[in-house]
Amino acid sequence: MPSDFYEEEEFQGQLNGNVFKRIGGLMRPHWRWVTGFLIAVILVSILDAYFTYLSKQIVDEGILAGDTAALRRILIQYGTMIIIQAVAVFAFVYLVGVLGEKVRYDMRQMLFNHLQKLSLSYYSRTPVGWIMSRVTNDTERVADLVTWGLLDSTWGVINIITAMGFMFAINWQLALIVLAVLPILLYVAYEFRKRILDQFRKVRKVNSKITASYNENISGVRVIKALGREDENLNEFKVLSSDMRRFGYRAAWLSALFLPSVQIISAFALGGIIWYSGAHVGTALLTVGSIQAFVSYMTSILWPIQDLARVFAEMQRSLASAERIFSLVDTPPEIKDKPGAIDPGTIQGDIHFEHLSFWYEDEMPVIKDLNLTIRRGETIALVGSTGGGKTTIVNLLCRFYEPKRGRILIGNHDYTDLSLQSIQSRIGVVLQTPHLFSGTIRDNIAYGRLNATPEEIERAARLAGAHRFISNLEKGYDEEVGEGGVLLSVGQKQLISLARAVLSDPEIFIMDEATSSVDTLTEAAIQKGMDAIMRGRTSIIIAHRLSTIKRASRILVIEDGQIAEMGTHAELLKLKGKYYNLYTRQFRFEREDAYDVFKDAAAAQPLEG
Amino acid sequence: MFHNSKGISDFDLRNAISSNRLLGLWRLMRGYQWDYIFATLMQGLSAYSKTATYLLLSYFVDHYILASTGKYPVWLIALAFVAAAAFQGFFTFLSGRSAARTAEGTIERLRNYLYDHLQHLPFAYHAETDTGELIQRCTSDVDALRRFYNDQAIGVGRIVLLFLVNFAALLQLNVKLALYSVVAVPVIVVTSVYFFKKVSAAYESYQEQDAVLSTTLQENLSGVRVVKAFARQPHEIEKFERTNWEKYLRGKKLLTIHSLFWPISDTICGFQMLSGFMLGALMTIRGEITVGNYLAYAGLVVWIIFPLRGLGRLIVEMSNGLVSYDRVFKIIKEIREPLDDGSYQPKTDIRGEIVFDHVNFEYTQQEQVLHDVSFKIEAGKVVALLGSTGSGKTTLVNLLPRFYDYTSGKILLDGHELNTYSRRYLRKHIGIVEQEPFLFSRSIRDNITYGVGRDVPQEEVEQAARMAAIHDVILSFPEGYRTLVGERGVTVSGGQKQRLAIARTLLKNPCILILDDSTSSVDTETEAQIRMAMQSLMKDRTTFIIAHRIQSIMNADLILVMENGRIIQRGTHQSLLKEAGVYKQIYEIQTRIENELEEELSSAV
Repeated sequence: MPSDFYEEEEFQGQLNGNVFKRIGGLMRPHWRWVTGFLIAVILVSILDAYFTYLSKQIVDEGILAGDTAALRRILIQYGTMIIIQAVAVFAFVYLVGVLGEKVRYDMRQMLFNHLQKLSLSYYSRTPVGWIMSRVTNDTERVADLVTWGLLDSTWGVINIITAMGFMFAINWQLALIVLAVLPILLYVAYEFRKRILDQFRKVRKVNSKITASYNENISGVRVIKALGREDENLNEFKVLSSDMRRFGYRAAWLSALFLPSVQIISAFALGGIIWYSGAHVGTALLTVGSIQAFVSYMTSILWPIQDLARVFAEMQRSLASAERIFSLVDTPPEIKDKPGAIDPGTIQGDIHFEHLSFWYEDEMPVIKDLNLTIRRGETIALVGSTGGGKTTIVNLLCRFYEPKRGRILIGNHDYTDLSLQSIQSRIGVVLQTPHLFSGTIRDNIAYGRLNATPEEIERAARLAGAHRFISNLEKGYDEEVGEGGVLLSVGQKQLISLARAVLSDPEIFIMDEATSSVDTLTEAAIQKGMDAIMRGRTSIIIAHRLSTIKRASRILVIEDGQIAEMGTHAELLKLKGKYYNLYTRQFRFEREDAYDVFKDAAAAQPLEG
Repeated sequence: MFHNSKGISDFDLRNAISSNRLLGLWRLMRGYQWDYIFATLMQGLSAYSKTATYLLLSYFVDHYILASTGKYPVWLIALAFVAAAAFQGFFTFLSGRSAARTAEGTIERLRNYLYDHLQHLPFAYHAETDTGELIQRCTSDVDALRRFYNDQAIGVGRIVLLFLVNFAALLQLNVKLALYSVVAVPVIVVTSVYFFKKVSAAYESYQEQDAVLSTTLQENLSGVRVVKAFARQPHEIEKFERTNWEKYLRGKKLLTIHSLFWPISDTICGFQMLSGFMLGALMTIRGEITVGNYLAYAGLVVWIIFPLRGLGRLIVEMSNGLVSYDRVFKIIKEIREPLDDGSYQPKTDIRGEIVFDHVNFEYTQQEQVLHDVSFKIEAGKVVALLGSTGSGKTTLVNLLPRFYDYTSGKILLDGHELNTYSRRYLRKHIGIVEQEPFLFSRSIRDNITYGVGRDVPQEEVEQAARMAAIHDVILSFPEGYRTLVGERGVTVSGGQKQRLAIARTLLKNPCILILDDSTSSVDTETEAQIRMAMQSLMKDRTTFIIAHRIQSIMNADLILVMENGRIIQRGTHQSLLKEAGVYKQIYEIQTRIENELEEELSSAV
């Protein structure tokens, strides 16, 4: 999903003192840099206006006076100023640019650090794309405002003020003409900028739709061809495409009109100056150099005006970005340590669920008054249909969420009295869709214990049954897994996440078994790995495979947020109830899979080996 | 301007293929070329108007301020200043407008063409091309071409024309002064190109790190459960900090190059200008040129020198634009699969009798995928294909809608060779239900009516959904039939997708049907529903079932067991049970499983 998709909404970006104050807070640590670049840019700006004044001096005191010595003096002064300005330009580009990068760095880090604290509930209601857009686009925009925006507006204001000062010094009547035109110029420029920005925003919106459209057209090409929908698709796309042309053309059209408009307005002022000076020839009010200076000031004053207009037009968006950033930073983590939370040193012991009830944000009850005791070292299998509440039980036990009613005791402590760190660092989890990070296989296993030695990593991999396939890879443990592990099969990813859990040597082991079938060899390896890790540990498995289910000391059939049936395999079969149905169905399914005469050919596919 | 809108939108972009990329870009503008030439000319006129302002200033100073030889009233001169500015603005505007029209028009046509081209490229192309790469070319590279037309090419034109016009004016003022004023020009241009090459490289490396940063962030966000489960927040923060810091460093490098370029080029340009001022001033004092001339010179020289600094950026960006041309045209060079070629157009509906007669097929010369496949299926009957992945089942059915054309042998549909039917016709009359079909991110209703090719009343949609056993599921979604599918709407499971496809196919009402029967993980009840839905779909249609199990195909009129692209067994369920072979083995396995289950249950209890 293109990141622009998650922009623009919700926040108005109104001028709000509080937001300014907080943005100021971001800049406080860097005040030396800010002062530095402001001094540099003020110098540059004054010199810009001063150059025009020197040009006037060349004409008036050098040329018209026929004074070569004065001319030389002025030119030397001019040259010196060029060098001084160059140094100042270097200083401000460097200072403001590097400061911009610093501020970006700070903000990204601030957001990221806060994101690490937020609870799972935040992630389940916020699309990843939205968060990404905060960290990438919004930080960019705010940083631009406080660096280049501040710089450009400072330059613009100082430049206009200095230029006006020189103009008043040269001839105040003419300066008044300029002063009269100035607000008109600013207003027109600002209005143009706002409209241009607006068009660009439309362009970006359509653009993300176009990207999405290409994406569907390519990913869904099989369906499209089969249904022969090419012509309709093209017609639909043409609408988007023509919107894009319209908005793009309009943005370009406005931009093309922008500069000429302000130029023509300033030309009227110029005409006024010429007319005035022509009418006052000989009164010695106005030298030739002065006329030249006014012409130059009139033409060059357009640049600061444009810059100011741009900064102000963009400010609204930047402030909206800042508001979004602050709103994220202000989101409190819903699950955090209570004051005085303790680390008991171990969380081995019985686990009690007492009158547990839970609902997610839609307030539909997911777990209803559940009572359960898991004895230390026991292996519990949770079975039942999707949506029954199995995953929620696991989420609660990991304290990704906390119970809405009732409580969970681990080793006689209400687990909300314990620190999150003390619980989560002692639980090993293997998820249904294993998540790997870019990097090597070694990195991914070591995620279980960061300071593990290569020998320990290999031992964990052997225990988890992952060693065999890893050593068959070209680079072994140093093989890259690709972004999100795309270079590996699902079975291989599971083995790696098992090894990761083994390495972390958890006191409680939790696994959500994958439903997708893997080839027989990998399946056997996974079973072996699970055996290794479950030995002597309290284990809770959301189970799909019969072998896993049968290995459990107790089986819980979870239906509709409650325990529908509970007992050993034999006990439950006798009931001839839900478990019986589930079991016979899965039995047929697995055996068919196992005996499938075609299976061998499929298993021989390269990635599954 | 010179519009002939039909010719413009019908232009086949294959005509713009050229090994000379600039020529190719020129041809791509077909229909807008005059617009573009006009835009360039207007830049020239605009530059000329600017020059005129300074020449006017020169005249004004010489004839009104320093002498009183002016022939016109002062107000007319003042008005002339306004007029010159107005002309300049007007021409700039016309130029910008025409350039934008060219760029946006050309690019709109290119976008549409690419979109259509992609959906007409054969399966073989899509099978071996990466989606992300294609999207990249259709968006980023296309936008690079837009900027090429809208900013870069015209920008270079503007700078060159500004230079030429102003230089010509300077030459008129004084040849010596003029030549003296451009001594540093080569230095400026070379420095600028050199610097922007550096900038471009530094920027690229900055962007690369940006991608790394995004990946790190995205993996952290989507793996939040793992991070929390292992309490690895400090580790994650440290990891992000590393990539974040690297981005800072690369940004700093980029900025350092910039902070060197601008003052250095400022200094070069400044001293070139200053030495011009000096010579000009001395010449004025010596009386070689007038004071007015000097003023005009001082104004014009700025417009010769400073814009040249930007030339480097434009040149470097243009060369990037040329690379984008190559990347985009690599797609355009691919040959489309024609939808409408075919000599036979049936008068009545097809019946659906299909004969495979010694059909062979290979994707490439090396590997043959189907060998000598022959069978006959009468209209309305069911043929089941059984075999492992890679045995050729899918390839076989892919030949029917002519996704691929068979290499030798014959396929007859109602007695006519299949490839004499147009692809459009065949695909209109063949319905395909995949195991997990692709859904589009639009509403459920739109997904059901997708490709049906007519307006379907709501009752009919609902009826089809009921028959496909998906109606109740749809009603349970927040907005019923109007619920969006995908990221901003509901997540639809594999079994639900399949049933949506069944509903769609019911509406499409094809005479030939291709079903992929591999049941995804659904519960017993749903499985039964899907089976019923498929039964109602198969009624009176010639049906090909791609099967993985025996249960679903026992009633088939013809069962083909396939292996390595060959038919190794054929017959009905009954006849196949009588011969030794794969089919019988599979069947026996079923019986064995039931026995084992009995045993298992009794032993457990």
